[in-house]
Formats: sequence, structure tokens, C-alpha cells
Amino acid sequence: MAEIVAAALTSHAPLITGKPEVSRPEQRDRLYAGFHELHRRLAAARPDLLVMFVNDHLQNFPYSNMPAFCVGLAKAYDAPSPGGARLMRIPPRKIAGAPEWGMALLESGLAAGFDFAYSYEIESWDELSVPLHFLTPEGAVPVVPVYTNCGAPPLPTPRRCHEVGAFVGAFIRSRPATERVALVATGGISHWVGTPETGRINPDFDQRVLDHVARADIEPLIRLTRDEIERDGGNGGQEIRNWIALLGAVPGWKGEVLAYAPVAEWITGCATVWVHP
Amino acid sequence: MIATSYALNKILTALARQHLSKDRLTDDDLAGHDLSEAERAALEAGDIAALYHLGANPYLIRRVFRSRFPI
Repeated sequence: MAEIVAAALTSHAPLITGKPEVSRPEQRDRLYAGFHELHRRLAAARPDLLVMFVNDHLQNFPYSNMPAFCVGLAKAYDAPSPGGARLMRIPPRKIAGAPEWGMALLESGLAAGFDFAYSYEIESWDELSVPLHFLTPEGAVPVVPVYTNCGAPPLPTPRRCHEVGAFVGAFIRSRPATERVALVATGGISHWVGTPETGRINPDFDQRVLDHVARADIEPLIRLTRDEIERDGGNGGQEIRNWIALLGAVPGWKGEVLAYAPVAEWITGCATVWVHP
Repeated sequence: MIATSYALNKILTALARQHLSKDRLTDDDLAGHDLSEAERAALEAGDIAALYHLGANPYLIRRVFRSRFPI
């Protein structure tokens, strides 16, 4: 069976790369060091493929057709596009996809009762572009993104996200032994973005999430309702669904928090977490 | 129950996808869109709080009216 050789959780925010200069140097340095350490560990794990649990920001999926879960089948992903690159201030580039692998996941999911949508064309925003800028600067590892609706309510429940992640983990373990797969989930932790409370961060909520992740005690996170997350973690906090999905794929694995900082200037409670058996 | 304005989100999605940032929308921007008076007024004023309360998606508000946010 194929092996899950690495797993990581990170925040994503366009300002992490778009406006590094406005953040406090000690916070920026800590987080950038966390990203660089994730890069080092990920490279050492020599993955053939990154399966990424992420969410769209209305860049791709419109209100006329909004998937709860969507498997990417693109040959390559804009990460970022030239338009997004201007705002994120990182070079535009294409990251290779793995459409055959994605199709196998999709077909297996549908057969098992996970009714994924699928997409052959995705322009990523910060959900892929910013973390991959740090994690795979060489751009050599293809990605299969699994998009979860975290930003256009009503949203799938955290429990369902966990079940989807568990399915993805089981699917990977059913694959040929030669495959080395790394998992990366991006988003969160607390942030209020675009709402009247834009800029608010809740470090208490962030610490609670990180503590649960560190202890592999995620049932309390799975039980969170959308309203509870919105109240304590903001609309951006809904993105912890991606983390919950990843943790569903690697039951019992614990998070090692490499860096955390509530970066007011990036309007995000930012973390980088390595997850291991 | 989630309050969402499809009309607001439709016009904001179209602008966000073009990577256009606006301070306020004009009559030209709004042409052909089926908006309530309150929605039209909020878009023309660039009133980000009003847009939120009228059911615009906050990510789209942020993308299109970036200049309206102090941070």
C-alpha cells in the first residue's frame, strides 16, 4: 500500500507574501522559519504527490454552482495567476496537477458514497499559492487539491469534512506501494476578513485548536458548529475544516506546532504545524 | 438560516475574477444587474458594512473594495 510520508497544516493569507514588510519582524521571522522548516521536512520525505485540503475564495466556484467538496482534475494549477501574483507579490507560476490520480480518487469516492464534484480548471488564490511558495519553491511535486466549501455558507459540517479526509486516507492506503504521498491542509486559524470585524484575531481560539491538534484530540473540533466557529474564529476560522479533513486521513497523528503568531497586520492567526505518527 | 444576496454576489464575483479593485461602483458597473435599491446604494457608496449586512460574501467584499478596509 502507498505510504503517507508527511503531513502539514498551515495558514494561508495573501498578505503573508503580499505585505511582509508591514508585520512585526519577530512574528514574520518566526512564521517564515516555520514555513522553511516545513519545506525542509517535506523535501526530506521525498513525496511523489501532494494531496492538499484547501478552500476556494469565490475565485472559481460561483454562487450559481457551489460544490461542498471538489476534486481538482487539472493538468496544472495557476498558483498564482498573473492577476493574483500582483497582489500576493510572488511570481506567477503553474503547478503540475495529477489528473489521473485525481480521477481515481473521484471514482473511488463516488463508489463509496462521497459525492465529490470535480473541476478541470482552477485558478488558485492564496490557498495553494502562498503555502506552496514556501513548501515547494522548486514546484516539482504535482498536487491534487481537494476543495471544501469553507467560505460560502451553508457549509459542510466539520464531521463530514473529517469523514471525507478519512476516506482520502483510506484511498491513499489502497494505492500501489510505490507511491509516496504527502498531505497539506491550508487555512485558518482565526481571522475575520471582509466582515465589519475585519482585522480581529482570537488567539484563545487559535491556541485551543492547536492544543487539540497537538494531542490528536480532535473530536471537540469535529463537534464544533458553524456558528461556534464563526463566533470564536471568525469567517476565516471556518477554514479549519481543511485541517480537520487532513487529520481524518491520519488518525492518531499529532501536531507539532513549529510556529504560531497572531499577525494583526496579516489579519490572521497564523500557524505552521508538522503532523506525525 | 444563512442570508445571502445572490444578486450582490453575482456582480462582486464577476469583478473579483477580473482582479478589479474598486472604491465604489458606477452605474455602468451595475448595468444589467437585478439589484434592490439598498443593494445598489451600498455598491455605489462602497459601503462595506452595509454590503455585509445585505448578504454579500465577505471575501468578495474584501476583494472588490480592498481600498475601503483600513487594514
